[in-house]
Amino acid sequence: MPLRNLAYFFREAFKSIARNHLLSIATVSTIAMCILILGMSVLITLNTSTFLAGLESDVEIMAYLDQELDDAGIKKVQEKMEGLSGIESITFVSREQALQKMQKTLGKQNYDLESTLGKNPLPNSFEVKAVDPHDVPELALQIEKINGVYKVNYGQGVVEQLFSTARWVRVVSLLFIVLLALGAVFLIATTIRLAIFARRKEIYLMKLIGSTDWFIRWPFFIEGIGLGALGSLLSIIILAVAYGSLLNKVDTVLFMPLVSGQDILINLYLSLFAAGAVLGIIGTGISINRFLDV
Amino acid sequence: MLVQFYNVSKIYANGIKALDDISLKINGGEFVFLMGPSGAGKSTMIKMLYREEVPSRGQIFVASRSLVRMKRKEIPALRRNIGVVFQDFKLLENKTVYENVSFAMEVVGAHQRDIKSRALEVIQMVGLQGKEQSLPGELSGGEQQRVGIARALTNRPLLLIADEPTGNLDINTAQEIMELLYDINRKGTTVMMATHAWELVKAAHKRVITLDGGKIASDITPGDLKLCH
Repeated sequence: MPLRNLAYFFREAFKSIARNHLLSIATVSTIAMCILILGMSVLITLNTSTFLAGLESDVEIMAYLDQELDDAGIKKVQEKMEGLSGIESITFVSREQALQKMQKTLGKQNYDLESTLGKNPLPNSFEVKAVDPHDVPELALQIEKINGVYKVNYGQGVVEQLFSTARWVRVVSLLFIVLLALGAVFLIATTIRLAIFARRKEIYLMKLIGSTDWFIRWPFFIEGIGLGALGSLLSIIILAVAYGSLLNKVDTVLFMPLVSGQDILINLYLSLFAAGAVLGIIGTGISINRFLDV
Repeated sequence: MLVQFYNVSKIYANGIKALDDISLKINGGEFVFLMGPSGAGKSTMIKMLYREEVPSRGQIFVASRSLVRMKRKEIPALRRNIGVVFQDFKLLENKTVYENVSFAMEVVGAHQRDIKSRALEVIQMVGLQGKEQSLPGELSGGEQQRVGIARALTNRPLLLIADEPTGNLDINTAQEIMELLYDINRKGTTVMMATHAWELVKAAHKRVITLDGGKIASDITPGDLKLCH
């Protein structure tokens, strides 16, 4: 594409936006609304999934060992667990350490657990972390089968519920985002279709004079991308100001810590901007071939 | 040989047969009238020349290139060699005379410096100097058609096709437009003009092809014209 044409394309795109300025304003503001809601749902998703991912990574398996197991037996169990795939770390917790931990959580000095209980009732155990928290239930089953393991605990029931909640949150917000994106594409397609319709006589002439299809398409693509980018820019400004002031006032919402990393947010804003432009391309692409078939 | 039709037929999707086994040749530099009643196939024939329509059967060559085998992306190059003038002028109402003419060069990606000199040149050629900044609505019918002709000439076409160019004009204005077309033809451009205006054709002493019911009813060269009517 020669540079001299580029100036023509931008001039035509700008003229078309100006000529249909009311429709252009309507499109830009609706796209801004769409991207704003899109950005908000991405932010909510980002926050909940960060929160949920934190909860998920906290999930670990406690493998309690038989009371009679000697040091060699313990070593054997550890070796067998290390042989399982998908394990991130294994930490041995002796019965003494376990008792100290319990003492700590119960509030220590007031009474001496060991003397109250007579002897230490707690078993030796392993704390096992999985590489992928979703593998925990499956891993727990395998660990339970190892000789010398007397019981496995990973918060059965609660964990499964956590995982399925997290999955639903992700699915629903993805669905929401897809629907909004479709709405924005439809709007841009309509605007471009009207812009093309308004110029159908000119396009027919251009075709007869010997314009190439791409020469005719470019201004409309620039218009579509421009409308999409302008709309997303508007929404990013609103979103950045609103989220920024929210972060200034609070850092948690409903006990959920807010995502505040600058690079994450900048990436989000850049992605939303790109999304606006891409929606513009798709919307224009849907409408562009009308009236070109001459 | 600029234009060749070999056994060209056209049957539209609704079953109407617009052209029926047409064969003809037009040499470079000729001036040809295309006559015939409405529905005789004149428009179809003209649209085939700039490949808005393709034949159902037969072959068409323009400047030795087959229009039937032509790929979609080759069409723009063909059309840059063909200027089209319409009965209803098809001017862009919101553009000035100058813009309507320069538009034709702009949309084929010409250099800006060439556009200005060529646009002013063709505007002068059709006798509209001084009206460059007028809008089509401010011009008479004859002047509007001159803009249409200027636009068709801008890219120096080999073939100028005029579809009823005087159909909307009074007889005196029509005569002026004809003089302009003859002048263009004298400078070397082949002209093909579809018309109903027998008075203009009779006075012209040019080749006349008459279509009737999609067939060539007659094809009379200047020397033979007096035999007719």
